[in-house]
Amino acid sequence: MKIAVLSFAHLHAMSYLHALSQRDDIELVATDPDHADRAEGESGGPEIAAMFGVRYLESYDDVWEWGPDAVIICSENSLHRPLAEQAAARGAHVLSEKPLATSVEDAQAMVDACEQAGVTLMIAHPVRFSTAFLELKDAYDAGVVGTVKSVLGTNNGRLPMNVRKWFVDKELAGGGSITDHTVHVADLLDSLLGGVEATSVYAVSNKILHSDEVEVETGGLVSIEYANDVIATVDCSWSKPDSYPTWGGLTLQLVGSRGIADMDAFNARVDGHSETDKNGLWFPYGVDADQAMINEFLDAVASGKKPGPDGRSGLRTVSIVQAAYESVRTGQTVTL
Amino acid sequence: MSPLVPPASEPLRVGMVGAGGIAGAHLPAWLGLGAQVSVYALDGAPELTAYFGGGTVVGSFEELISQVDVVDVVTPTPFHREYIEAAAAAGKHVVSEKPLGRTAADARAAIDACAAAGVQLYPGHVVRFFSEYETMHREVEKGTIGEIAVQRFTRGGTRPDRAWYHDDAQSGGIILDQMIHDLDFARWNAGEVSTAFARISKNGEGLDAIVNAQVVLTHVSGAISYVGGVWARPGTTFRTTFEIAGTGGILRHDSTQYKPVVIDGGTPDESGTGLLPAMRGVSPFTTELGEFARAFTVGPAPRVSAEDGYAATVIAEAAITSLETGQPVSVELAGVAA
Repeated sequence: MKIAVLSFAHLHAMSYLHALSQRDDIELVATDPDHADRAEGESGGPEIAAMFGVRYLESYDDVWEWGPDAVIICSENSLHRPLAEQAAARGAHVLSEKPLATSVEDAQAMVDACEQAGVTLMIAHPVRFSTAFLELKDAYDAGVVGTVKSVLGTNNGRLPMNVRKWFVDKELAGGGSITDHTVHVADLLDSLLGGVEATSVYAVSNKILHSDEVEVETGGLVSIEYANDVIATVDCSWSKPDSYPTWGGLTLQLVGSRGIADMDAFNARVDGHSETDKNGLWFPYGVDADQAMINEFLDAVASGKKPGPDGRSGLRTVSIVQAAYESVRTGQTVTL
Repeated sequence: MSPLVPPASEPLRVGMVGAGGIAGAHLPAWLGLGAQVSVYALDGAPELTAYFGGGTVVGSFEELISQVDVVDVVTPTPFHREYIEAAAAAGKHVVSEKPLGRTAADARAAIDACAAAGVQLYPGHVVRFFSEYETMHREVEKGTIGEIAVQRFTRGGTRPDRAWYHDDAQSGGIILDQMIHDLDFARWNAGEVSTAFARISKNGEGLDAIVNAQVVLTHVSGAISYVGGVWARPGTTFRTTFEIAGTGGILRHDSTQYKPVVIDGGTPDESGTGLLPAMRGVSPFTTELGEFARAFTVGPAPRVSAEDGYAATVIAEAAITSLETGQPVSVELAGVAA
């Protein structure tokens, strides 16, 4: 099986390179042709590939010539579509970094291209593979909390621009915290609720945090209603301070007829306090969700079975994000 | 407007109207503050005073009025306005359990009646007096976390067992009855509210329903707030959480996580499973009623005013309207002193 990692714009590429390099049943290459255009001091290119002992190719054309069975797209969000279309045209399966795209139009085009080419399209939502979410989903599916009618989700993090400036570039990222963080919670709900469509979205946002550093929104609350009458609110704000001891976190609360379930996806940790750093210490442990996700994708490529989350679930979560921006713009609830 | 009715003298003579849920929190607090308490209620007054070993039961509202300086209205919501107005007409200062009125118009009328009579009126927004909340607000005011950007408040526990709470016509539902605490607090922290948006889920019917409402507020300052409230199945632990994110950091609390003592007796912990959270250390009701009592005698104005109580009902009412329209509703305060 020949796997190619396309672009290191999203630093999850490093985690995926690590996970892929643990597998001795694949051939692996990577390319990051636009690394020289990145902001000053931002790493990339052959230097990163070398860290993981991965063969580096100079261009996307070199990758297509090499003939991958599957690609993992870690480019800037707005460039997911052209890379996915090129891969599909060459019969290569696709794992795309989240969000699937920066517009419903682009997401739909990616889904269509992959379906027409008969290749798999999967979205990189590793939290689906976390121990916490798998335990929650088992309990939910077993009816432990009964019928769930409402959900509160939070995905708060530090401002991500300190590692990659494009995260706060409206054109390349698609927006700010609403784009970056709504989709993770929406994807978990997509999994729990079995892919039911959202019917209406109301959202508010602001730029009080980091107001002099970025143009995009940094705070956001997104309220969603689904076709099965489940309601959900997502706090997607980049509201963890720069000095917070970890990148952020993700929580989910399900209010059911038989109980209330709380999940903290990154609660498995050893913490403490460092006199040296003058800050809290935070050391996560447990199953490597990125590795589990990569394994699911590779299994799907090898066996032909359908992986999750698939392109259509990615399309549903992108639809929620687009509706959230329309709601912010109009100040009204948007019906889907 | 400065009060026309003179300050009360000590010991304060307090007349409670009602002997239901919150009366069981107010009576021991008043007694602890050294007040002389009379209780008038349609039923439950003898049991209440016997349980707490203090307070005198009286047979009519007129009798109550004749022997007190302050009336404490702890009736179900629909009766708040008429008892506030009756107390004002008799020249008595008033404490009213929240919400100040069943509607914002009722709250406005009650405030106007008290102003006209020259008596003081304070609403029981007791969350402002809970140690964890007043500590958080103190730090917000000090600027510890800079300018507020995003706030989240959640509150939930066993649903009320009395039927009137579940009749929206009487209680206003969970938003006006329970979530008004956090709506008030969101405004106290981040300032006036511009719009309120709300959704609600009801899982089951009537008294057996699990209710969860979710409210999204925008503030004039640009801050945004989430307020969530749950009435859950019997036996559910009362739990409150908040996270306040500002330009200089975050403040947070979770009543189920930050416990000074945990005892595992091998059986379910029954504390904090009713309509009130488990309260440790300083009683917020003693702090609240003590602050009101000082205001009634010679002390400074308390941290919560009748106008705050009115604003909270306006915000709650906007959220309730949003449930019907499916759209955000703008919050317009009428007659609030600057």
